[in-house]
Amino acid sequence: MELSDSVLDHLRHVAALPDLAGTRYELESEIGRGGMGVVYAARDLQLDRRVALKVLDIALAGEAQLIARLEHPAIVPIYETGMLPDGRAFYTMKLVEGARLDHYLAGSHSLAERLRVIRRVGEALAFAHTRGSIHRDLKPQNVMVGAFGEVYVMDWGVDAVAGTPAFRAPDARLDQRSDIYSLGALVKFVLPASSPPALRAIATKAMSADPTARYPDATALLADIERFQEGLAVEAWSEPLWHRLRRFGTRNAVLLWLLAAYASVKFLLFFLRNL
Amino acid sequence: MDFDTSIGGPHGHFPSTQLSLVEAASAGVPNEAIDRVIALYWKPVYRFIRLKFHKDNEDAKDLTQGFFTAAIQREFFARFDPGKASFRTYLRMAVERFAANEHAAAHRQKRGGDVEFEPVEEQAIAAESPEQAFEREWQRQLFALALDDLRAHCEGCGKQLEFRIFEAYDLAESDRPSYAALAVLHGIAETSVTNHLAWARRTLRGFVTERLRGVTAGERELREEMRRLWN
Repeated sequence: MELSDSVLDHLRHVAALPDLAGTRYELESEIGRGGMGVVYAARDLQLDRRVALKVLDIALAGEAQLIARLEHPAIVPIYETGMLPDGRAFYTMKLVEGARLDHYLAGSHSLAERLRVIRRVGEALAFAHTRGSIHRDLKPQNVMVGAFGEVYVMDWGVDAVAGTPAFRAPDARLDQRSDIYSLGALVKFVLPASSPPALRAIATKAMSADPTARYPDATALLADIERFQEGLAVEAWSEPLWHRLRRFGTRNAVLLWLLAAYASVKFLLFFLRNL
Repeated sequence: MDFDTSIGGPHGHFPSTQLSLVEAASAGVPNEAIDRVIALYWKPVYRFIRLKFHKDNEDAKDLTQGFFTAAIQREFFARFDPGKASFRTYLRMAVERFAANEHAAAHRQKRGGDVEFEPVEEQAIAAESPEQAFEREWQRQLFALALDDLRAHCEGCGKQLEFRIFEAYDLAESDRPSYAALAVLHGIAETSVTNHLAWARRTLRGFVTERLRGVTAGERELREEMRRLWN
C-alpha cells in the first residue's frame, strides 16, 4: 500500500490521539508536549469540568504517583491516573488557565513581580526536595502563571528525562543540587538586563559548575533573595565598600535623615546662641 | 475473550508477537529478524541511495539489493551495538558507507582506475535532504506494513466493516466524508462510526508498535522510536 504524504501525516496524527473510550473524559485539543508525553485539554463528563490530560509515551505510571504525593499550592494537583486501551498510561490534573513563564515575561513586569514568581517556584522545589523528589527539567516552559498570579511548576521529572540544555546542570548524575542549578538558570532568565549585581550573583552561585559551590538547598537560595529584598547583604556576593555604604544609606534613610535633622537643629541653636 | 477488547491484552497492553533484534539474534532466529528489517527498510534505503548518490532507478535498486546481500553475508546485523546508536541510524550510516564505496569503485573503473573517489555532495537545493527522505520513507513503509497487518487482522476476525470505515475516512486522499455520511452509507449509528474508527486506530497503533519492536534492540530503543514517530 503506497501512502501519500498527507495520508501518512494524518495517520501519524490520529494513531497518536488517545482513545478515551471507556473513560469519563472527552478529548478537546492538544495543549502541549512535555518531557515524556503529550498534554490535552479534555472534559470530565462526570463532573462537567475541563481538565488537563497527559498521555505518557511509555508506561510511566510512576510519574503520576510522584506528583500526586506532592501536595503544594505551587504544584498542579493530580485528579486521577489510568490506562488507555492501547496500553499507554495517562493522568488528569487541574487545567491551569494562564501563561507559560517565558510568555508571561514577554509582558512588562516589575522586578518585584519577577522575584515573586521565582520565590513561588523555589518554594515548590524546596517542598518537593523534602519529599525526596527532584524535578530534573525545571525551565520557563514548565512554569505556569495563572490568571490571578498563581504559580505552578509542571512536568515533574522521571528518570528518562535528560533536562533542557540551557537549564540543565552539567552534573553526571542529577540530584537536588542539579535542581538548584536549574533554579539559578531560571533566576537568570527572569532578571531584566539591568538587574542589580547582587541578584546576578545569586544566579551565578546557584549555577556553579561544582555542585558543592551552589546553594545547599532551594531554601538557602530563597533566603538570599529575601536578604536582597530587605536591603541586606547577600551571601553570593562580596560587595565593594561604596556599594555597602550606599545600601546602608538606602536601608537606613529615615535614621540618617533624622540624624541630619538633629545635627542641623543643634547647629542652628549653637549658631543662634552665639549671635 | 471478546476480540474487540482482547487487542488491548489482559492488562491493556498490545500483545507482543515479535522478538526484538537482539532477542532474535540470541534466540538463534536471525533470518526472521533480517526479513523484518528488509521489509521495512528496503524502500527507505533505495530512496536514500537515489537522492544521496544521484542514482537512477535501476542503479539504486541494484545498490539496495547489493547492500542487503552484503549485509547478510557479512553478518552486519549481528555487529549492531544498541549502546552506540539506534538501529535505524546504524543502518543508514552503513548504507552510506556501502554505497559510497560502490560508487567510488564504479567511478574508478570509468576513469581507468586512476582517479580518487570524491564523495558526492549533498543536494544543494532540495526540498528534503537524503537523510530526511530516508526517515520519511521509513515512516511511510512502517505504516504501510502496519496497514497490511490491520487489513489482514480485520479480514481474519470479521471486522471488514471497521476496516472499510477506517479506509474511507483515514485513508482518504482528500474530502473526508462526515461521520454522519458514513453512518448512512453503512446503515449504522454515528456513534458506531466513532467507535469503529477508534478501534481501528488503536489497533493500527498496536501493529505499528509491533513492527517497530521487531526492528529495534529493546524497550529503550522502542520507546525512543515511538516518541520520534508520534512527535
